[in-house]
Amino acid sequence: MTSSFKQMAVEDFRLTSEPYYLPIADEVQLFETAYDQHIPVLLKGPTGCGKTRFVEYMSWRLHGHLNRSGNEGVPLITVACHEDLTASDLVGRYLLEGEETRWIDGPITRAVKVGAICYLDEIVEARKDTTVLIHPLTDYRRLLPIDKRGELLEAAEGFLLVLSYNPGYQSALKDLKHSTRQRFIAIEFNYPPRDQETEIIRIEAGCSVEIAGELAKLAEKVRNLREHGLAEGVSTRLLVYAGKLIANGISPRRACQTAVVWGLTDDSEVQQSIEEVVTSIFPE
Amino acid sequence: MSAADTLADQYAAALAQRGVVLRDDFIEGARALEDVLDPADLERWASVAADLAAQSLRSWEAAQEFFKASPQVATVLPFELLMRWARVAEHLCESSPLIAAAYIRATPAALEQIPPDPDFDIGIQGEFLTEQTISKTDLDRWAEAGERLHQGNWKSIALSVLFFELSPKLLASLSMEQIDDLIDVLVILAERSYQLAQTCLEAAPDLFAALDFNDREPFLQFAAALSRASWADTRLYFERGPDLVVRIEAEQRGAFLTLASRVVQSSGRQGFPHFMETANALGMIPPSEHAALLGLAGTLARRSPVAAMAFLRSAPIVLQRITADQLAQWVEPGSRLLFDDGNIEGADAYFQLQSTRAEQTLTSLSARVELQAIHGLLRMYAKALTGASIAIRSSEDLVEKGIGWVTESMATTEGTAIFLPPFVGVYPEQQSNFQCYKVFTTHQTGRIEFGSFGYRYGIEGAYAPVSVTEREAALAPRERDALTEMERYYDLFPQRTLIASLFTIAEDTRVDAQVSREYGGIRVWLRRLQSREADRRPDVMDQGLRNAFVENLLRASLGRRDAIRWPAPLMPTLETALSALAVVEQPGATVEDAAEVAAALYDIASILPNTRRNYDDEEWEQPPADMGSEGQMPSGMGQDQREMPEGEGDEEFEAPQQPEFRGDFKPELVQLLSRLRDQQAGDDGEGMSLSREQVMDMLEKSSEVSLSEQAQGEVAASMGAFLTNLEKEAQAAAQAQKKKQQQQDGEGDADDGEENNADLPNEVTWSYYDEWDFRASDYRPRWCRVGERLGDEGTLEYYQDTLQRHHGLVVETRRQFELMRPESFRRIKKLEDGEELDLDRAIEFIVDKRAGVGPLAQIYWRRNKVERDVAVAFLMDMSASTDEEVEKPRVNERPDGNFTGDPRNYFQWLAERRSRLIAEAPKRIVDLEKESLVLIVEALEAIGDSYGIYGFSGYGRDNVEYHVIKDLGEKFGDKVRRRIDKIQPIRSTRMGPAIRHTIAKLEEYDAKVKILILVSDGRPQDHGYGRDRTEKEYAVHDTHQALVEAKRAGIMPFLITVDKEGHDYMKEMCSDVGYEVVDDIEQLPRRLTSLYKVIAAD
Repeated sequence: MTSSFKQMAVEDFRLTSEPYYLPIADEVQLFETAYDQHIPVLLKGPTGCGKTRFVEYMSWRLHGHLNRSGNEGVPLITVACHEDLTASDLVGRYLLEGEETRWIDGPITRAVKVGAICYLDEIVEARKDTTVLIHPLTDYRRLLPIDKRGELLEAAEGFLLVLSYNPGYQSALKDLKHSTRQRFIAIEFNYPPRDQETEIIRIEAGCSVEIAGELAKLAEKVRNLREHGLAEGVSTRLLVYAGKLIANGISPRRACQTAVVWGLTDDSEVQQSIEEVVTSIFPE
Repeated sequence: MSAADTLADQYAAALAQRGVVLRDDFIEGARALEDVLDPADLERWASVAADLAAQSLRSWEAAQEFFKASPQVATVLPFELLMRWARVAEHLCESSPLIAAAYIRATPAALEQIPPDPDFDIGIQGEFLTEQTISKTDLDRWAEAGERLHQGNWKSIALSVLFFELSPKLLASLSMEQIDDLIDVLVILAERSYQLAQTCLEAAPDLFAALDFNDREPFLQFAAALSRASWADTRLYFERGPDLVVRIEAEQRGAFLTLASRVVQSSGRQGFPHFMETANALGMIPPSEHAALLGLAGTLARRSPVAAMAFLRSAPIVLQRITADQLAQWVEPGSRLLFDDGNIEGADAYFQLQSTRAEQTLTSLSARVELQAIHGLLRMYAKALTGASIAIRSSEDLVEKGIGWVTESMATTEGTAIFLPPFVGVYPEQQSNFQCYKVFTTHQTGRIEFGSFGYRYGIEGAYAPVSVTEREAALAPRERDALTEMERYYDLFPQRTLIASLFTIAEDTRVDAQVSREYGGIRVWLRRLQSREADRRPDVMDQGLRNAFVENLLRASLGRRDAIRWPAPLMPTLETALSALAVVEQPGATVEDAAEVAAALYDIASILPNTRRNYDDEEWEQPPADMGSEGQMPSGMGQDQREMPEGEGDEEFEAPQQPEFRGDFKPELVQLLSRLRDQQAGDDGEGMSLSREQVMDMLEKSSEVSLSEQAQGEVAASMGAFLTNLEKEAQAAAQAQKKKQQQQDGEGDADDGEENNADLPNEVTWSYYDEWDFRASDYRPRWCRVGERLGDEGTLEYYQDTLQRHHGLVVETRRQFELMRPESFRRIKKLEDGEELDLDRAIEFIVDKRAGVGPLAQIYWRRNKVERDVAVAFLMDMSASTDEEVEKPRVNERPDGNFTGDPRNYFQWLAERRSRLIAEAPKRIVDLEKESLVLIVEALEAIGDSYGIYGFSGYGRDNVEYHVIKDLGEKFGDKVRRRIDKIQPIRSTRMGPAIRHTIAKLEEYDAKVKILILVSDGRPQDHGYGRDRTEKEYAVHDTHQALVEAKRAGIMPFLITVDKEGHDYMKEMCSDVGYEVVDDIEQLPRRLTSLYKVIAAD
């Protein structure tokens, strides 16, 4: 019996085939240049608009850079940030092993060592004191101090720090410190325009172009409700889910209900409004 | 000498004593009787008559009438009865000769009305009696009835006399039994007021004559009940009653009045107003329904007549929303309350529509959809479709606005708001009616989404070439520049109404086509509504040719080419037109296309004569189904050279009635409005401002506006008013825009946000809340109206003075509160798992382990974030009772209480002392509330909790005043300090709605811990806050319920009262809610802060 899962060290993860990504503007070129020039990148944009996919795509695409050979991309280490993320979660910590302590590298340390793209997703979720530790890594120094071991790591050539950040839930509590934010170039993401989104949905979900078009139209309408009962517009990701459901036999109204309406909000009046938009677009 | 003369001689002397006239009358009477009576009888009569005259000092008046009336009576009554009548009169005369006189005088006329008595009929008594014979009992009873009114004083005599005077008329419509009933009523009324009784009596004859025979009895029955329960209303009842009663279906009047009598017995004074309202209500319902309604009411009345009456009163409102067949279903839950639960008060509230359950049942049964219920939903729907913030409003509002839209029941839009009918009940199912609303909304948003108002002059459309320049060339040069692009376009055509109608059709066709294309889900319902509208169109063959042409285009536009009827000889013309119309149905057609199509249609229509009946009925044909369905513009403009029929009597063209879902379409006004708005907002892109004259000029051309007016002067006047309205409208919109902008700007730097809106008027925003009716165990829906407004501002001095006066206390509290401020991170040690190894612990652990002690491996530590996240709302009682003075505190007698110094300084001393006394005016409760606020504000600023301060008062359920001293999100500043100064006693204390409003505020606010602290000086009370003025329970229960609601919403309520008697009701009002009675009022400031520390501690 063979197990179906794969296990590997984080720094060993690289993409072996080209992920689907449809460039909207010049973001690919910008990112490539930034990578070559060691400029850290901040990706801004709402949930599910393709930031993570973009980073994956870029990590694959960049395989030609730095004289890497083969079809494999740059290693990509992704850290999902959360409230309790501490500096040692990122850098590393001592663990007890038998009667010894053993040092374990954290993801950022590993990325620095192997020259990976280190992608800190939803950085505002992390505590502010945590984010400060990445500062020396982001300027010309490209250094990572590890105080507990009294070491200083200089980043390997292919290392790049990428943050993502969702300005949508901007509250005073969850905003990036200026000292952090001014160390990055920012690439703004938004939901793709209707035609492109149609294309994305069609390819990702494998549904007909008509369905994809209607879903993109729905998305456009629902996004009009942002700040009016909805904190965030519907993500392309959810639309792809809906498209997948429809492509596999679920009725469009039902699919949109589960993937779009209920996924977006719990407010029953808003739900109902969106459902009415759904029923306006999709016939029974 | 006749017998009469003999008798006259005999009695002359006796009679003469009473006056000469009397003797003459006697002789006259006797002579008249000679022919009727035999001499013996005549003699007996004379003796009785003389006795009557001699009976008392004033009995001659009665006698005189007796002499006069006897001959007439004698022709009707047999002699025995005549004598009996005389005796009755004699008897009456004993109590009052005036009454007797009236009785006698009225008898002849009355006898004509009193029906023959069946017990006293010919069979038994023989041939003495004629058919006119009256029963002896009736004459007696009649007299008795009149006598019952006599109470021994002159007013009662007058009443009794009046009764006899009116008797002939009364007897014409009432039976003797009914007369007795009437007298019962009058007797009761007379006990209170003779005047009232008299008025009622005077009204009675006409009243009963007007009433149907069968209604008289129940009418009297209700009168009797009313006179006992609420005598003062009887007069009104006699005045208005008959009019009210006739509104009810004839057979049901009895049942209704019987029910009304029962109600009046149980609800006293309220009985009559209820009766009036109910009768009015029934009048609004078709009489055919009355039987069913009163049947249902009858069942309810078995347990509660009040509920039954309330049910009838609510019926018109209920029947507007549900069908008569569903009525029983609606009654069901209410009658279950009544019969199964025995909750009579609950049932009363239910049937008065004052309970949430009643409302809910109604909504669930009703197929009708109310705009109010889906208003928010549609607003978001419209926002989603257009991306713009569009208000949804009732179309009633638009007409009221007076800015050029005149038809109510239709949907329309003026660019920033969509107006919809207040309810839709077209279909028998709720779902379908809702779909109607959706189609309405989608068509209107379609106008916005697909740019119906964005017409640009001279711009190429997607399909049709521009023809405006050629058209312009053919016209005389303009006198002034057009104000809007739309106006410029319309001005190209001499017939304004025609081009406006055609453009409307073309544009609506385009919008509908776009909607069906974009929104596949709505297509089905759009078709259904279009079809429904097409079926309701007026007959096309009855109209002038040009009107018929436009009407047919409208039908085509509704997708119903099958409904088109057009004279066969002119079919090619119509085909050209239909092809042109089909152009706008193509994907991507723009509003400019629609304008060009309308222009082409205009060219065709304008040469059609607008005459009727040029063609025979057979000539009107239905065109082939696919005729002109391919979009194609006619070749050339205005050059349709086809032969047109000559017509006589050209009629004026009338714009066709718009289909409901499309409604009015006024792009020229929308463009104007938007331009005015821009101008008001100060950024008129074209750099040209509009003058009043220009706008007036343009409006006058807008044909629909002048439609309803006739006289020229009136038009001018209404234009002026209309323009003012337009300006107002634009101003309001511009202001809103500005305000929004300010807010957006303000967000960036919240610090100066405070001063920004300084000049905004103190607006009141209204919210509605349910109220808990503990008797009905249900909420009264939307019962209270709370008006939120900013508190007035006073001066800063008060705040500063208070701070100074209580300096010590302030400093102390501040310090205490600062100590409460938690560290933001706390290190927690000795954990089995955590962030980091605690090295000391780890070593210890290893050591222990080596030593074989083996404790737990608690060697990690973790930092825990502890954030204080508290929002508190203080709700201050601003009722009039807080004006009460607190007992004068013990004035600390200063040693200089008595003057001891230099006599020369005495006056100076005295003045000082006086001024001091004035300065220390006695404190009122409200002053202490304010002082507490100052203190708590200082404390809260130290601890950093979010807090809001609100005051409440008001009068009645629809005017609960809610003053915002400091809103939850507001920054503390001078404005707040000044507002605290202005807290003052106003009116009543309706706590429930104030608490509910505060709950709503807290719910919107984002905080982990939410607290509501209510500071009050007594029990809740307000006008109508309870069944009557003395009832206290209702208010206490409602407040309790509001507090429970707070708990449910995750808010911790706490009550503080300075009412020493507070314990008794607070226990009930708060049950499991915390409260404190502050006995020593002066301790309030200190107490409030220390309590807060306890309440808000984690």
